[in-house]
Order: sequence, then structure tokens, then C-alpha cells
Amino acid sequence: MDLDLLVGALTAGSLYALVAMGFNILYRPTNVFNFAQGDLVMLGAMFGATFITLLGLPWFVGAALAMLAVAALALVEEKIAVAPVLNRSASSHGWVITTLAVSMILANLVGLGWGPDPIAVRPPAPLSTDTFELLGANVSSYQIAVMVITVALVLGVEAFYGTRSGKAVLAVAEDRDAALLRGINPNRLSSWSFFLGGGVAALTGVLAAPVLYASTGLGPSLLLKGFAAAAVGGIGNNRGALLAGYIIGIVEAVAAALLSPGYQLAATFAVMLVILLIRPHGLFGRAEARAV
Amino acid sequence: MGDAARALIRSPRTRPVLLFALALALYLAPFAVGTEYRLFIATQMAAYVLVAIGLNLLNGYGGQVSLGHGALVAIGAYTVALAMVDHQWSFWPAALLAMVAAAAVGAVMALPAFRLSTWYFALITLGFAEVVGGLLTEWRELTHGFAGVVGIPKPVVLGHTLTSFDLYWLALSLNILALVGMANLLRSRFGRALVAVRDNPVAATAAGVSLVRIKMMAFVTSAAMAGLAGALFAVQKTVVTPDDFTADFSIFFLLMVVLGGAGRLWGPVVGAVVFFLVPELLTALQSWRMLIYGVALLLLMLYAPHGLVGAIETGWKRLRTRLGLSNILPAPSLATARETVQPVAGAALSVRDVEKRFGGVAALAGVSLDVAAGATHAIVGPNGSGKTTLLNMISGFYPVDGGTILIDGRSVVGMAPHRIARGGVGRTFQTPRMLPQLSVLDNALLGAFPAERQGAAAAALCLPRARREQAASLGDALRYLDFVGLADRAMELAGELPHGQQRLAEIARALVGRPRLLLLDEPAAGLSLAELDRLGELIAAIGALGTTVVIVEHHLELVANICRSVTVLERGTVLASGTPAEVFSHEEVIAAYMGSHTSVGQAAS
Repeated sequence: MDLDLLVGALTAGSLYALVAMGFNILYRPTNVFNFAQGDLVMLGAMFGATFITLLGLPWFVGAALAMLAVAALALVEEKIAVAPVLNRSASSHGWVITTLAVSMILANLVGLGWGPDPIAVRPPAPLSTDTFELLGANVSSYQIAVMVITVALVLGVEAFYGTRSGKAVLAVAEDRDAALLRGINPNRLSSWSFFLGGGVAALTGVLAAPVLYASTGLGPSLLLKGFAAAAVGGIGNNRGALLAGYIIGIVEAVAAALLSPGYQLAATFAVMLVILLIRPHGLFGRAEARAV
Repeated sequence: MGDAARALIRSPRTRPVLLFALALALYLAPFAVGTEYRLFIATQMAAYVLVAIGLNLLNGYGGQVSLGHGALVAIGAYTVALAMVDHQWSFWPAALLAMVAAAAVGAVMALPAFRLSTWYFALITLGFAEVVGGLLTEWRELTHGFAGVVGIPKPVVLGHTLTSFDLYWLALSLNILALVGMANLLRSRFGRALVAVRDNPVAATAAGVSLVRIKMMAFVTSAAMAGLAGALFAVQKTVVTPDDFTADFSIFFLLMVVLGGAGRLWGPVVGAVVFFLVPELLTALQSWRMLIYGVALLLLMLYAPHGLVGAIETGWKRLRTRLGLSNILPAPSLATARETVQPVAGAALSVRDVEKRFGGVAALAGVSLDVAAGATHAIVGPNGSGKTTLLNMISGFYPVDGGTILIDGRSVVGMAPHRIARGGVGRTFQTPRMLPQLSVLDNALLGAFPAERQGAAAAALCLPRARREQAASLGDALRYLDFVGLADRAMELAGELPHGQQRLAEIARALVGRPRLLLLDEPAAGLSLAELDRLGELIAAIGALGTTVVIVEHHLELVANICRSVTVLERGTVLASGTPAEVFSHEEVIAAYMGSHTSVGQAAS
């Protein structure tokens, strides 16, 4: 296989893994799968593009502001669309529709605010999207940076779950009421997780912008590909998401090369379905014993 | 005035008369107010209602969120378009093919849903919608690509080409058929099973419902209806392009169902009407349309989860209360209900060296017990000894890690729990698992699911055989509710019953299935003294009918009174086994319950 394609696939795969990680962070204490996640990533890209390209702020400042803005929005989403539904009944699935509704609202607000044209974003100096030769492939310093940052973030988040606060999050995911009785506040943890998940989504968007272009059409495709990465890797498992992201990136690249770019999503979906039918909890997920 | 209103509301003939008048008005409307434009809108709305009715079955009653129904409509529309334009098919076989194609794709879409949870399913259907949308454009050889399929002819019946009047009447008739069929289906065992799968899948499984088959039935039915609607869509618009079927299209149907009222029969109709009327009134806000829909969806789910019909129903109930009418329907009375309950041939249970490990913890480390047919046997032991685990393994809810379990000589190891339930094993749970939104009678009727043989089609068409089976089940349910003492509360909502009576209702549900082996998990928990006495009598009566009863209990007095034999478990192994007198004077048993520094004399005082 063409090594350049492989590099592109791994870069895209890293981004999908980051989207999946955003899902996982939100999912852990709430068992809610945020249908608006793709739009949060897209918003991060748009905010980042606005701050960095249109307003000319330095890259880190723009990125940080974008992360704050989207994290705040994610917090609002949790308060109005997730918490009320979860409080009504812990096993209800109404949040599927409410987060979907938030996705519709966000996507259309962005469309009305920014218009349909994509905004170009340049990577921060000294990185660039110019390619140089490395081990027989054409790769850019930015692509390397994206891959390295992704791996670092995954390891960092996994390390967090080993800490006391991280364990508290896992406790809430396991049994909300029991955690409550142990002095852990599930509502505050849920809010924090949405805040962090929103931040990670924004970072993903900002990182993706130089590669994928900041435009309003980004949301739905990232939702599906991020979900595919999360599902194949095992929901809640970030290392699995990383590997799954790479797999999906490669499947996409192969499909585009062998068939045509229009069949990418179909190929990705077919592969995901086959894997899920064989291992319903993903490659690295654990089946839960039923509580009867 | 109040009297007349009360009489009108109470009369059972009011509803059918009103509905008939409504249908008649709709059929005659084109002659009075029919313009081409209005007929076009009305026919399109009717097609949408068809999809929404199907989606309501899947989502409102079945609890599965599908974001892919737009793609199913697309498949129906394209099938009809391509068949009629490229292959000169007549409309009627093409429409049938459209239904089959959509149902087939629906079945494939549904496959992942069986092993995965609800929200996975929503995302997979969303993905399907995007994939189908993409394929409609990409697969140019089949679908004509961007340009779509043009020049779809109008349907022909016996040489007469259908006019827009005829198309409207066709669509209206299909709607009426769909509503009537849906009402019949929901009233039958499938409706109850579907609600059970949504609200309490464990209860459904224990009643012998195969979750996979019910979900598949719901999905295939709703997909076929979407395909049929797509066929109508195609011949009405005469042109189909990929642009007609964006991912947003699917969301319209979900919005209609949620707006009208998910899980309410008339919800889809009301939702479609409102959905169609509102844009007509808000043409100025066209570009804000999707945003408004998003906000509407959010507000509905937060404040009116049962939609407009749900809100109307609540208001109607309040009106009835104010007029002095009860909201509890009268219980149906059947001649057969007065027959007595029939005896049952109890099954023998044999458990040998059964093991169960959870990770590194051995919940059961080699447990053996035997229960003779028709006997009443108790399993007792301190908390954490593995009692409920054992029950779960006998009924198939937990897989067996080692050992054998034979019911009447047949091994049930590795059998799915609903299969075991259908084989004559009934059970109750530590916390009563009821369907709170259904009546006690409907909950009991759920237990009759495996006894009835009618298929979904027979139920929808209300065939005589289906009606006979339903009457028989109704008689059974009423009889067993009487047996447990809940006959006078049969029509109340199960969720409003106090704990002790929910427990009795659950036992009734298990009994309706005529189990040869009945497993009761801590039936006495949370009962008052009077209720305990009644429970003891009830269990003795069940045993007298011949059913083998196995009880997990903490109430040693109850156990001593009604059980022939007892097994004591501690930390996953059998501590003692025998008659209650033998077992409860056993040293180790007393030590396990009371600690080792107590003598028998102290324990008794």
C-alpha cells in the first residue's frame, strides 16, 4: 500500500480516536452517548478558525479560547438536555432524542452564523503542512504532531482514571446510587465530564482544522466515524479507541483507493458492523454480567 | 346538561360512531374543498402518516430509536420508480416489491440491534441513512445518480389511470387500514410483549418472550410500512432524486412521532397534521425551520414526553374525574372466568455440582440439590451465599460454568432464558418487575404470551382464531388474578399498586403461563404480617395444584410452615439439606445464621 496513504490514514485515524475519546469521557459517568459530539468538534474547529485565522490570535491562545467556549457549551448541554432526562429516570433513553435535538440546534446555529464556506487554518509555527521525506513516505511535521499529541492525550487520560478522581468517575458509571452513598456527587461529576469532553472535542476540532478544513459539514461525518472508532474499540476504552481509529482510517483509505471516495462511509460501516456482530462489545470491551 | 354529557361519554357506541363520521368526512372532503394543491398536500401527508405509524410501533411502543426510516422510504420510492420506469412494471407489484425491499433492508439494519443496546441502534440507523443517501448518488448504474428517476407514471387500475382524487382515496384507505391493523396488533399479545421489551426486558424474558423476535417483528413491520409510503411518494411526485432523502428526512418522522405522542395510537396522525400545518403558517421562517424543529424536539422531550396526544389524554382524565366518572375501566367479565384453575403436572428439578464464577469470585462452588415433582422446596442461607445466583442459573439468566441442571430429565444448561420459560418454568424476582404503565390485567396477560399461537398478521387482522385465543387468555388471566386475590384491582395501573400487591400480581403473571416449576425469589420481602399469612396460603395452594415450587427465602418460619424440604447454602456450597426440622436444628446452620457462640436455647428465645 502507498505509504503516503498510510500516513494520511493514521492522521485521520488519530483524529477519529480523539473524537471517540471525547465520547468515552462523557460516557463514563453518565452512560450517555452524546449525539451532539460531532457538532462540538465542528464548533471547536469553527471557533478556532475564527480566533486564529480571522482574528489573528496566536495559535495556543486561540485554541485555549476555543476549548473554553465549547466546554462551556457542553456544560450547558448537560444542564438542559441530559441532567433533566437522567433525573427523571435513570434507565430512560430520552437523552438520545434530546442530544440529537441539541445537535440539530448547534448545526443550524453554526450554519446561520458562519455560513457554508470552509475557513482555512494554518498550523502553528514551527509545524507546517509541507511534506518532507521520512522512511520512504511523504509526511508533514503537522501530521506527526497530530499523531504524537493523540497518543499523549490517550495515555494522559488513561492515567487520570487511575487517580482518585478518576476512580470516582468509574464508580459513578458502575452504580450511580452506590457512588452517591459513598459521598461522590454524580451530578457534579457528570457536569465536569461534559465540560472536559467538550474541551477535548474542541481540541480535536482545532487539531483537525488544518487537515480537514473548518466547515459546517464536519459534524455528522465525525459523529459517525467517532462512534465507529468508539464502538469498535469498546465504549469507554480509550486505548481501544486509538487502535480502532487507526483501523478505520486505514479502511477508509483503502476503500477510497480501491472503489471511490463516495464509498468510504459504506465501507467503514460495513467493517464496523462485521466487527460488532462478532464482538458486540468491541475489540477491547468487556461484556457486563446482567443484573437480575 | 352534565347528565347528558356523562351519558354520551360513557356510552360504548360513541367512539365508533365518531370515528366512522370522521372517516366519511375525510372521504367526501375533496368534493367540497378539494383543490389540486390541497389534494397533493393531503396525499403527501397521508404517506408521512403511514411511516409515522410504523415508526410509532418501533419507537413509541418498542422503545427503539430509529434514525434511518427516511432511508427506508427512499428504498421504497426508488424501487417503485426503477421498476415502473426502467422495467415497465405495473404499480401494484412494484409497491409490493417496495415493501419487501424495505422490509429486507430493515431486517439487516435491525440485526446489530439485538446484541447491542438502544443507543447503538440509533447510531447504526443514522449511519445506514447516511450510507444509503451516499449510495443513491454513487451507484449511478442502478439509481441514475444525481438526476434521479423521472417520469414515473400514475398507477392504473383495470384500465383507469388514477387521478389525484383517486390517489388521495388510496392513501386515505391505506391509512385507515394501517390504524385499524395497528390497534388490533397493539391490543394483542404482541403489543404487550413489545411494551414489555421496552419497559422491562427481564420480565419479558421471564414470560417467555424472545426479545430478538419481537424487535425484529417491530422493525420489519415499520420498515414495510415505510416502503409502502415510499411507493406512494414516488407515484405522487413522479420524480425521485437523492436530494429528497437527506438524513434530515428521517428526523422529520421522529419529530412527528414525538410531537404527536410516542406510544399513543393517534400520536402519528396528530403529529403529522401539526408538522404539515405549521410550515404553512410559518413560511417566513423557512431558513430557521430545522432550528425550530430542534428546539421543538428538545422542549417536547423535556416537558411533554408523551406529546400532544398524551397531554390531551391527561386533560381528558381530569375532565372525567371532575364529571364524577372513574378513570378505571370496568373489568371484562367472561363466562369462562368462573371456571376453576386447572391442576398442573409438576416438574422434577435436579441440580448437580453447579459452579458459577464472577471474575475471581466463586459465587457457587459445586452445589447439588434435588426437588421431587410437585414438592415445595426452599433455598435459604445468609446474604451472599449464592441463592439468587442459583435461581438465575436454573432459569437461564446466568450462564452455567460447570455442572448440570435437569428439569424433568432434560438439561437446560446453555438454553436461552426465554426458551426455558416457554418450557414451563415461571419465576418472580426480588423486586417485582412489572410494566407500570399497563393495567394489572395486562401484566398478567403477558404471562400468556407463549400459550398463544397466533402470528402478528392474524392479530392485526383480528382473525377469528386470534380472537378465540385472546378470549381464552383473558379468562386465564382473570382466573389467576382471582386466585391470588387481586380480582378487584385488575384494571388499575400496575405501577400504582402497593409493593405487596405488585408481588402478588407478579406471581399471577407467572402462574398464567401454567409453569410446571415455579421459582420465587424472596416473595416475602417487604410484606406485612397479614400479607405473609396470605402468601403462605397462596404458596400452599399453588403446591396443591401440583406445581413444583422452589422458594428462596429469609423468613425461616414461613419456610418451616410450607416447605417439605430445605437446602441451606453458605458461601456457594451446600451446608445442609433435608426437612425443615432436620435442617434448622443442624449445628452448622445455626452457627452460620447466628454466630458460633449461641446455643439452641438462646436462639429460640
